[in-house]
Parts: sequence; structure tokens; C-alpha cells
Amino acid sequence: MNGPIEQNEPIARRTSPRIVLVHTVTFRQARQFVPAVIPIVAATGLGGGMTTVVALVVGVTLLSLLTAGLSWWRFTYADGPNSVVVTRGLLSRSVRTVPNDRIRGVEVETPVLHRVFGLVRVRIDAATGAVPGKDEEVVVDGMSAAEGDRLRTAVLTHRHVPAPDDGAAPVPAEEEFGRFDNRWLLYAPLVGSYLALPAAAVGALFRLAQELPENLRPDFDEAALASVSALVIVVGGTLALLLVGSVVGAAIVNWGFRLVRRGGSLIAVRGLLTRRHTELEIDRIRGTTIAEGAGMRLVRAARVNALVTGLGDATRRGQLLPLGPRQEAWTLARRLVDDPGPLVSHPPAARRRRIVRATVGGLVVTAAGLVATAAAGWWWLLVVGLVLLALGVPLGLGRYAALGHATGPGSFSVRSGWLVREQALLQRRAVVGWQVRQSFFQRRNGLATALACVGAGRGGYAAIDMAAADVADFTVAASELWASTFSRPAP
Amino acid sequence: MGGNVRHPPRQMTTAPSPVREPAWSLSRSAIGLWVTEGAIASVFLGIGAAAVALFVPSSASVAFLRWAVPAAAVLYAVVTIGVRPWFRFRVHRWEITADAVYTLTGWLTRTWTLVPISRIQTVDVTRGVLQQLFGLSTVAVLTASSQGTVRVWHLEADVAQRVADDLAHRAEQVRDIAT
Repeated sequence: MNGPIEQNEPIARRTSPRIVLVHTVTFRQARQFVPAVIPIVAATGLGGGMTTVVALVVGVTLLSLLTAGLSWWRFTYADGPNSVVVTRGLLSRSVRTVPNDRIRGVEVETPVLHRVFGLVRVRIDAATGAVPGKDEEVVVDGMSAAEGDRLRTAVLTHRHVPAPDDGAAPVPAEEEFGRFDNRWLLYAPLVGSYLALPAAAVGALFRLAQELPENLRPDFDEAALASVSALVIVVGGTLALLLVGSVVGAAIVNWGFRLVRRGGSLIAVRGLLTRRHTELEIDRIRGTTIAEGAGMRLVRAARVNALVTGLGDATRRGQLLPLGPRQEAWTLARRLVDDPGPLVSHPPAARRRRIVRATVGGLVVTAAGLVATAAAGWWWLLVVGLVLLALGVPLGLGRYAALGHATGPGSFSVRSGWLVREQALLQRRAVVGWQVRQSFFQRRNGLATALACVGAGRGGYAAIDMAAADVADFTVAASELWASTFSRPAP
Repeated sequence: MGGNVRHPPRQMTTAPSPVREPAWSLSRSAIGLWVTEGAIASVFLGIGAAAVALFVPSSASVAFLRWAVPAAAVLYAVVTIGVRPWFRFRVHRWEITADAVYTLTGWLTRTWTLVPISRIQTVDVTRGVLQQLFGLSTVAVLTASSQGTVRVWHLEADVAQRVADDLAHRAEQVRDIAT
């Protein structure tokens, strides 16, 4: 099993010294002193104006340089044939050993500053299934791009085949699974998460403006802000900013997205400023989800995520198609999991239940409104209640329309949700347990909810309000033979 | 709703359950434990309700809370101490079959959980303070899914230990590579 001599004793390697500069600029290590610095600044105040600010900036930068240098000096990593060992810590040393067979994925990312200095950051993910936690991730920050690639291949090939040397492994043929078309960026304003991006940026800007000393703050004339035309400009400007911001945000995250299959892995590369290189093992993929938000459904857009066992930060890492036409999404999903066929819709009692649940809030407000109108003449509460009641009906119908389940020879599928309609396509082997729930009202209506427990993604995917009589057959058809316990008579 | 079609009476009283019941019921000591738990919760709730009755001014427009909150507390106490434990005992069931762990829990909302032995990752036995008073233990069976945990509540301590050992042993033999 042992290779040449140098393979037995893994060499402790250092990251590139250039990373000290990157970390100085980004205050990577000095950031932890911020809570200590704020009270000092608050105590002395920024009364001195410009001089204090400059002195503070210089001081913080020096501190940052010092801490960045120290942590570079104390950091080493070594990739052996069996494990990756990372040693670090300024005063107390910490040695972390991650066995290769527990490594679930390797991600190489290149933030902008790293790219300027020709460096990359490697994240080694060794998450355990049941216990989520960031601690399971090993980050080696600041190596040359070539060294990053070497480490990635080394870690992954050691795991697949223990024998061969690094670098010598032949590069398997690539097969392209998907490529991002920049026209799809135009879908971004209809997607909630991309709309939130510019909103968060504006919020951060306002906060920053509040922190600035008085004389550095831009001056606004209060009277000018109050006029109607100013209001129109502000509202129009905000809308335009949101639209443009969401497209720009989507472009920054998804620029040049490409999904390829290389050997037993799926590799996703993306990002305009920070290039990310994520590798997923196809063997660990248990299914996919196709999510369509309410806005995305209008333009037939969708996104695809892979459900990978033991993948930390799965919503980001598992993305196979961040944004694209529905057809593209389905083609991709079908390549990974067999399509179990068209969905079976749920019984009419499920429709009644969805409508009742969607209108119950409106009913309560309407009842309260009736009381309030009679007692205190608060008619507006009644109006709000009636509007909610009226909106509840289409919402309930929409939620019912999303419900469905299907079983195929090797896979099954469940769908639910209105604001974000999500369909999960899962392999039968993915199911590690079933949870069948029946509330008092579901029992009266002959309905039940069957939740397939899966060691990937959200942990469970449910067929909501299916006919109670179909549950036992569905569970057997959607998982393996053990599920027949549900229908087999008790001993 | 369904026009003039009359449902057979069996369906109205005991609606068909979606899947079959597990075979075995819990230890009867579980009823005592649930009653004790309900009594403790009721004492705390009662203290809260008494505080409301004392401190809400009688002149305010919310004066009705002075009797409504204590009444609700009394109702809660009656249900948790006098009704729910027996109801739960009738519902709760469990079974270990040749290839799976199977439980039924709940009283108004019922939950059937089924986990195959081949996908078990760990088996825990826990004994809470109150459980120790009644000589009971809980067996928790964990899988790779955060939602796929099955708990067999309130078994007699020695039964629980035997079940856990047996499950751990069998899981090791039939463990699946697929998590």
C-alpha cells in the first residue's frame, strides 16, 4: 500500500507568505479585537476629528499586520496518505487530524484579493450526517492556485484509490452537465433571495453613514426631502436599484457557472469576484430538489439543488443550477435521478383542508373585527379581516395545486409549497425512515402526511395530506422492503 | 359535504388509521409518570394564573382576565392530569420487528415512526430524573437524517437496556453502506 518514502511521512507545508498581506487588508485576524476596540473608541470619542480617525486606521492596520503574520507563522498543514493534519494556534497549539475517508468534499475558492495575489482558499468538508456544525470544516487559506489543485486532487484521490501518487493520476474525461446562460440573469428580480441582496447592501450603507463622524456625513436638506417629486424619485430610484441590484448580485454570484462531471464527481465552478470550485461525489447524491418561487413560476424559471449525504452548508454547495428555465432544470434533475413520472394529486379533502387552513387567520380577524365594530366602531379591522379571508381562498387553492406524490421503479417524488414550490426527486435508497403523522382533523378527513426521512438536504421530505389509505402502499413503493412493516399484520 | 351519502358508522367513530398499529404497549408506570409531569406543569401554571388574578386591576377593561386565566389554568390541569395520561397510554405503542423499529406516539396528533435497523447509526438510552423515580428509560434510535430519530418512551429500565443492546448489535451486522 505504501508509496515512495516521502509518502509515508507527510511534509508539513506552509501557506504562501503573500496571504499575510491579504489578511492585513481584510482584517482577517484583527476582526476579533473589534469588540474590544469599540468601547475604547466610545470612551475617547472621535472628538479629534480627522487625526483620530487616521491614527485609528494606522493602528488597526499595524495590529492586523502583526496578527496576520503571527497566524501565518504558526499555521501548517500536511496531507498524508490517510489523513489531513492542520496545526495552528498562537499560544495554545491545536492539531486537527481529518481522516481521508471522512472527507465529503473539497472546495477551492478564489476571492478577489486572493486572485490579485494569485492565491486560493481550500475548504475541506468532513461533516458528519446527524450533527451539523461549522467545526467540521477545515480551511487552508492562502496557497498558490497550483498547490490548491494539487491538494484537492491529492485528498480526493487518496480517498478513492489509496495507492497512486499525487499528480500522476490521469485526468478523467469531462462531461458538461450544464452551463449558465447570462440571459437567465434577467430572472433574478423575480427571486426573493436575489432581491434581498441589494436591500441588505442599502441597509449596510445606511448603518455605515450613521457611524461616520458628523463632518464626514453628506448633508441633506430636510425640506427638499419632503416634497412629492422627491418622494417619486426616491421610490422610483429604490425600485430601479432593487432591479439592477438583484441582477448584478446574481451575476456576481453565478457568473460563468459551469457544471461538469469528471469521473465520479460533479464539479461546479462559479462566481465573478470570488471564484468557487465545488466538488460533489455522485455516489453520495440521494436526490435533487427543483424549487420554483411564486415569481419564478410566472416566467417558468426554477433552480436545482442536489441532496448529498453529509454535506455541510448544503443549500449553497449543493446548487446544480442556481437559476434557469424550468426545462433546463428538469433535464438536469433527470440526469441524476430517474423521473418517477407525473404526480398523483391528493384527494379533495386535502383541498378543503388547505383552504380552511389558509382562511382561518382571516376568519379570526373578521370575528374580532365584528366585535370591534360593534363595540368601538373600529370598522377597519373588519375590512382587514375580510380581505385576508378573500385572499385565503386562492392561497389555499394554490397550496393544494402544489401537492402531489409519485413513485417510479427506482425513485419517488413529493411536491409542496406555494411561496416556494419545491419538488423533491429522491432515490428509493435515500429513505432512512418514515414518519406518518395524522392530526385530529386529518383523521376525520381520511388524510395523513408521510414524511420520508433522508440523510441529506433538509432531513425530511413530506407528502402532505395524502389519502390515509394510500400511505402504506406509497411507503413501500418509495423505499425498500422494510417499509412493509406498515401494512404487514402484527405478529 | 358529501351529499346524501352516509358514511358507515365505523368510519365516523374510529376512522381507518393510515398504517397498522405497532404491537406492544408501554409500561403502565408511564401513566404515573405522565400524571406527575402534568401535576408539575400545572403547579407552575397555577402560580402564573394566581399572579394574574392578583395583579390585574379590577377596574381595567381587561378585568375579565381575573377569572378567565385561572379558569383556563384549571381546565389545563384537569386535562393534563386527568385525561391526557390515559389517552396517551391507549395510543402509544411500539414494536421491534425483524428489520425495523416501529413506534406510535401522540394523543390528538398521532405519529407513526418506522426506522429500518440497517440505517441505524446510534442507539441511546436516557433516564430523566422523573423517569428514574418510576424506573423507566427512553431508547432513542438515531439515523443520518436529523428528522429520522425514533424514540421509544418510557420502557422499564431493564427492557430498555436489552432493546438498546439488541438493536446496536443487529445494526452492526446489517449496516448498509448507504446512509
